[in-house]
Amino acid sequence: MISAATSAQSVRAGEVTATELVERALADIAARDGSYNAFTEVTASRARAEAASVDAAIAAGRDPGPLAGVPYAVKNLFDLEGITTLAGSVIEKDRAPAARDAFLVRQLQAAGAVCLGALNMDEYAYGFTTENSHYGPSRNPHDTARMTGGSSGGSAAAVAAGLVPLSLGSDTNGSIRVPASLCGIFGLKPTYGRLSRAGSYLFAGSFDHLGPFARDVRDLALVYDVLQGVDAEDHAQQWRPIEPASPILEAGVAGLRIAVAGGHFACNGHKEAFGAVEVVARALNVTAKIEIPHAATGRAAAFLITMAEGGNLHMPDLRMRPDDFDPMTRDRFLAGALLPAHWLMQAQRVRAAYRAAALKVFDEVDVVITPAAPYVAPLIGQQMVEVDGEEIPVRPNLGIFTQPISCIGLPALAVPLADPSAAGAPGGLPIGVQLIGAPWNEQALFRVAAVLERAGVVGSPADR
Amino acid sequence: MEHEFDAEAYAKAAAAAAGLPLDPRHLPGVALNLRLAARMAEIVEAMPITPADEAAPVYVVAREVPK
Repeated sequence: MISAATSAQSVRAGEVTATELVERALADIAARDGSYNAFTEVTASRARAEAASVDAAIAAGRDPGPLAGVPYAVKNLFDLEGITTLAGSVIEKDRAPAARDAFLVRQLQAAGAVCLGALNMDEYAYGFTTENSHYGPSRNPHDTARMTGGSSGGSAAAVAAGLVPLSLGSDTNGSIRVPASLCGIFGLKPTYGRLSRAGSYLFAGSFDHLGPFARDVRDLALVYDVLQGVDAEDHAQQWRPIEPASPILEAGVAGLRIAVAGGHFACNGHKEAFGAVEVVARALNVTAKIEIPHAATGRAAAFLITMAEGGNLHMPDLRMRPDDFDPMTRDRFLAGALLPAHWLMQAQRVRAAYRAAALKVFDEVDVVITPAAPYVAPLIGQQMVEVDGEEIPVRPNLGIFTQPISCIGLPALAVPLADPSAAGAPGGLPIGVQLIGAPWNEQALFRVAAVLERAGVVGSPADR
Repeated sequence: MEHEFDAEAYAKAAAAAAGLPLDPRHLPGVALNLRLAARMAEIVEAMPITPADEAAPVYVVAREVPK
């Protein structure tokens, strides 16, 4: 797979046309996506028109943008003009097509990128596996019998399989970071309020983040820089200046205080999750340990608030057509619609208290390293897993390390080990770690990721 | 709390109050998820907070859109 940065350079230099890139990508998707089930819709006409527009700009001597001709695709909760936004459901099929693109799609189009389609996900983003009963499971490119993770599973599979170099996903409780780890790619959940969510189908709005996937740090920075921008339509967006990552990728980690998180983040998973943290810490010469206080409590608060917000959001359809929901999500939404108000309000107050305690960590460190997922990709359909000597449900536990972080909106970058076997990953399946920063300090995460990539420690492991 | 919580009875009563028809076929799954939520609520209840600890979401009356 040619990187986004290289593709854009080639298009801008006139070595290849955007149209040629798009035709290659469309043919590749037609030939190979049957194995991964990443795409739910391929927008070939749109892609050809966007590519022609890029080629016309170049022919006319205009700047086609930093992502000129770069193919990408989006989780199918992003609005794409003229297409009904499914959000992984059949219920939404009845709705009108989107009147215009989501804000982040407009940002990508303005940068010259070319949208190839919409990607598979858990219904309404309520899941960590993308075992969608309506559209079928997305399949892990490293072993198609295994889960991609979710809920942005199609977004991760499409990039890991090399069908597109970039994709967009959403992350409410870990839905970018978990599939990034399971599929062996990079995924960024920026600070809550950094990127506009306008034109995306929300799940639990007070936790919903959008972000990109890529196969290397340079591409991730390139797309992240393009996605930033002020949008008055997202009430949760904080209107900050653009703080690009691309210019600081060579900055190194000198002056950054980095530590490994213990406590909640040192149990609840398999040896490869902690082995991956050790590999990364060793490469950075990091020996410091810290505790993120009340992390397990934060996870519990996120669990309750997510249930309640999701249940409330879908109440009209839960009342009228519950059997049209995916059985994987329906009972959770129904239960969420019935939670006692006290539980929800207690969770919201605890969330604020947990945030206050957790933010003190960043008085002492700049970047915290934790596992991203508790184990490598489980088999599709797997129900239970043994953790710390106990059989537990495999699906909800996938978010054990990501949920406490999105609960309080901290930026987090999932980076894949280049050699998962170095962490003891069974079968050499991908495994990643989570780099966590203070609010608005995505740049520190990119600096660490870039150093690790240059050292050969992190990187997208070759597809098997 | 968990051992005292009759999730099925609660689900039926709360669904009736909320005007949510609850198909008996869905009741076991709903009760399962409510029991899981009850365990999470126990964790949340165990964190000491004071009346000064406000809820995380903050209402904002208006914001000036940057130029």
